[in-house]
Amino acid sequence: MTAGSMLGAMDNNSASGQYVEVQGLVKLFGNDRAVDNVSFGVAKGKFLTLLGPSGCGKTTTLMSIAGLHTIDAGQIRVGGVVYTAPAQGLFLPPEKRDIGMVFQSYAIWPHMTVAENVAYPLEIRKVERAEIDARVADVLKLVGLGQMADKLATQLSGGQQQRAALARAIVSQPRLLLFDEPLSNLDLKLREQMRVELKRIQHEVGITSIYVTHDQAEALVMSDEIIVMSKGRIQQKGGPREIYARPVNAYVSNFIGVANLLKGRVIAVTAPGRGEVEIAAGGRTAQLACRLGAGIGAGAEAMLSVRPENVEATRQNGGGPDLEGEVIQAIFLGNCIDCRVRWGEFEWKVMAHPRTGLKAGEKVYLRFDPEHTLAVQP
Amino acid sequence: MSVQTAAGTTLQIPATSRWRSLVTQESVATLVVSVIVGAAVILPLLVLVISSFRVLDSSGFDTAWGLDNYVTLYTDRVIPKAFVNTLVISAGSTVLATFFGVSLAWINARTNCPGRDRLEPYNLIPFFLSPFVGAIAWHNLAGGKTGLLNSWAHDYFGVQGNLVNVDNIYGVIWVTGLFFAPLVYLFVVGSLRRMDPSLEDSARTTGAGVVRTAMTVTLPLVAPGILSGAIIVFVTSAGEFGVPFKLSAPYGWQTLTTQIFSKAVGDDANLYLGAAMSMALGIITVLLIWIQQRYIAPRSFTTVTGKGFRPNVIDLGGWKWLALAFNVLFLLVAVLLPILCLLVVSLHPVWQAEIIPADLTLHNYVRTLFFWAPDHIAAATNGIYNSFILAFAGATIAMVLSLVVSYMIHRTKGAGARLLDFLCVVPVGFPGIVLAMGVLVTYIRTPIYATLWIILLGYITRFFPYGQRNVSSVMLAISEELDQSSRMAGASWFTTLRRITIPLLKPGIFAGWVLLFIIFLRELSISIILYGPGTETLSVGVYYLTNYENETLTSALSMAQTVVLLVCVFVFRRIAGREALTA
Repeated sequence: MTAGSMLGAMDNNSASGQYVEVQGLVKLFGNDRAVDNVSFGVAKGKFLTLLGPSGCGKTTTLMSIAGLHTIDAGQIRVGGVVYTAPAQGLFLPPEKRDIGMVFQSYAIWPHMTVAENVAYPLEIRKVERAEIDARVADVLKLVGLGQMADKLATQLSGGQQQRAALARAIVSQPRLLLFDEPLSNLDLKLREQMRVELKRIQHEVGITSIYVTHDQAEALVMSDEIIVMSKGRIQQKGGPREIYARPVNAYVSNFIGVANLLKGRVIAVTAPGRGEVEIAAGGRTAQLACRLGAGIGAGAEAMLSVRPENVEATRQNGGGPDLEGEVIQAIFLGNCIDCRVRWGEFEWKVMAHPRTGLKAGEKVYLRFDPEHTLAVQP
Repeated sequence: MSVQTAAGTTLQIPATSRWRSLVTQESVATLVVSVIVGAAVILPLLVLVISSFRVLDSSGFDTAWGLDNYVTLYTDRVIPKAFVNTLVISAGSTVLATFFGVSLAWINARTNCPGRDRLEPYNLIPFFLSPFVGAIAWHNLAGGKTGLLNSWAHDYFGVQGNLVNVDNIYGVIWVTGLFFAPLVYLFVVGSLRRMDPSLEDSARTTGAGVVRTAMTVTLPLVAPGILSGAIIVFVTSAGEFGVPFKLSAPYGWQTLTTQIFSKAVGDDANLYLGAAMSMALGIITVLLIWIQQRYIAPRSFTTVTGKGFRPNVIDLGGWKWLALAFNVLFLLVAVLLPILCLLVVSLHPVWQAEIIPADLTLHNYVRTLFFWAPDHIAAATNGIYNSFILAFAGATIAMVLSLVVSYMIHRTKGAGARLLDFLCVVPVGFPGIVLAMGVLVTYIRTPIYATLWIILLGYITRFFPYGQRNVSSVMLAISEELDQSSRMAGASWFTTLRRITIPLLKPGIFAGWVLLFIIFLRELSISIILYGPGTETLSVGVYYLTNYENETLTSALSMAQTVVLLVCVFVFRRIAGREALTA
């Protein structure tokens, strides 16, 4: 049984089926719309990531949920309780929201020991001393800091401070966990390790979580769902596989992973969601069968989006509508060959299988799988 | 998992969250403090402006609106000269203080002068002592008739007349220049010490020589610091009362401060004319401070990076002994000679410019310090008692205020924060005597007039920005997330302040407290305007003795004050550490 399920009956999902509901969130900084009409929900126990470059509004959204910012319009509800609703003049102060939060700087209080840091939320909640001690010991063991309880926060390494911050956030079994780029100050190796660790702990305690990051790999590894944001707006919401395989627009496909993006025009719709797109570059044109993204119809201007690993490069022309090009760069990476193939004025990024043995200067044919070739909104 | 929540230990969230964001502990506290600070700072200045346009009629009872006070500033026999004297003194002491401050900072930060680590803390001592007492000491050292140096020159070398004479405008420049040199030193030594050595190294790699590097890289980087220090010295000298009162006013060189003083409490008292003179002085200083804050301080490069650098040290060769001699000479004339002179004079029943070993007595200390001694002097013993009360209460209240104000400036965003930030700079621009005139004309008809409360109000209003800066610098170094994570853990704003913010700020709060304690213990120009019978302060006691008693009693009380200040400085350095002073 997960501890999260022990919260009161009031904490059930609301009518919309979502535990956290953000509706029409608007936050202005001066005349700048830092968050512009953002709406989303998170189901109970799920792990949602807000992903985007700095300045996209993801942290502002998180701060608004935390109550560390006021908002200018919209509504935030958690477990059926209104947290913020400026239209009705409602604002629950941050300390009443019962949210655990892990900050970018970890924010471990340097004048307290690790155990004192972790005990703090329980002291605020007036839990009895004996129970505090037991729960602090348990949670420190959970995050792997069982031996560090009496160390001063300043004696911990970055990764350990991170674990202590997590322990402090979950010790009171809050209704919601918020993470503000918690791994961005760690070195690469530790970061990769902590991704898995953090996901394990969140899964174990089962607390609904919202995670903010600019690191797409982090988002893909950890999330049940990802929201890609840009310029204060949501670009796409979906599971990691969906976001990667079916980006809705050029922005998302470029932000998540690597993509070949080429302007084109839809020349035919062959079946619902299927069609052909015509691309041109430097006097060369081609027609490719592809999937059509939402809102893409016949005659529409679209962006062709193909992942490098979904482009097949061969020396023989298979007889299909292959593109003929020249390899101008081939970098052997062990598990693949990272190629650049010139076609007209366009350079295709191609991940070729190492067995192909492609070398710079060779003539190759590029073949596309219609299932993994997308026409998306520009 | 075993981390389980017993029912009822989670936060009880109200079913409907009717929490108006406007009414929180935080916003209420912000409002209250803004109003208090606003009233304390703005009200006296406002009343001062208004008072300066009230003209006293010939009978000295009724007033009417008019510009006559300002006309008098030009037509008076003494005031225009006082104005010129003030500017001459300020300019002179700025040049002197800048010369000493920059030289000493350079010697200590960038050369291999022997013993510089040991000398460094002593260079700052004049900053913590009373310039008024310095003037008294120098009067006894090198005054026209009573100067020890002059009488020695006469006795041993047969010099006729005076070898040196500080009883004039140049003496004022000499003493203020010496005592304010540490201000320039503080502004410059930080940027010299924290300068990234690669800035100079890269200039050298392009082929620039030592001198060229110094002129094109080092000096421009330090220039804003020098200029800031110079402006502060100019303004502080213009507002200095004790030194010209002791050294130049009795010999015919009045300054604006000595004139304001005589209009406030003298025989020809005219508060309204005094207000107009205060306006004239205040406008000059505010303008200069505004220029410093607006254009010069932002160009200071001291905090380019937080990295600790090991700055380039220049090998002076044989000249390093000259550098050492220069530093020792400064300490001799600014600290050691004056204090020794005070001690010597204070042990004589009367001072006749010669040391008479047979006459040495501690009786002067008995009369000025022991309030139970039958022939004690009330003004002196009251002063000791009152100053300790004022310093303790003033520093405590000012630091509480500083804490809340700093918190509001740096942790709450909005119009109120910016207004508070501005209000904290305003008092720094006004000399103590000007602010005291504002407080006097504002509260003269209230019950707090001539009580310790009015002095306390003046002290806090004028000096709390010093404490606030101490707290702010620490607060800026502490991540806001440390506060926010406490709020997220469920603690209210007040609990967060009590359990997280204040404990983290403790070093800054304590350093600020001791600094204010020291400033209040030696304060003269506010006290001299606001004191009444029974509410003398330590420095007012010294003033009383020098004016109505004799030099030896004056020296005894001055010596006592100096010893207390030195002890405070010692404690301050032990606790706050070396960095706290240069911050």
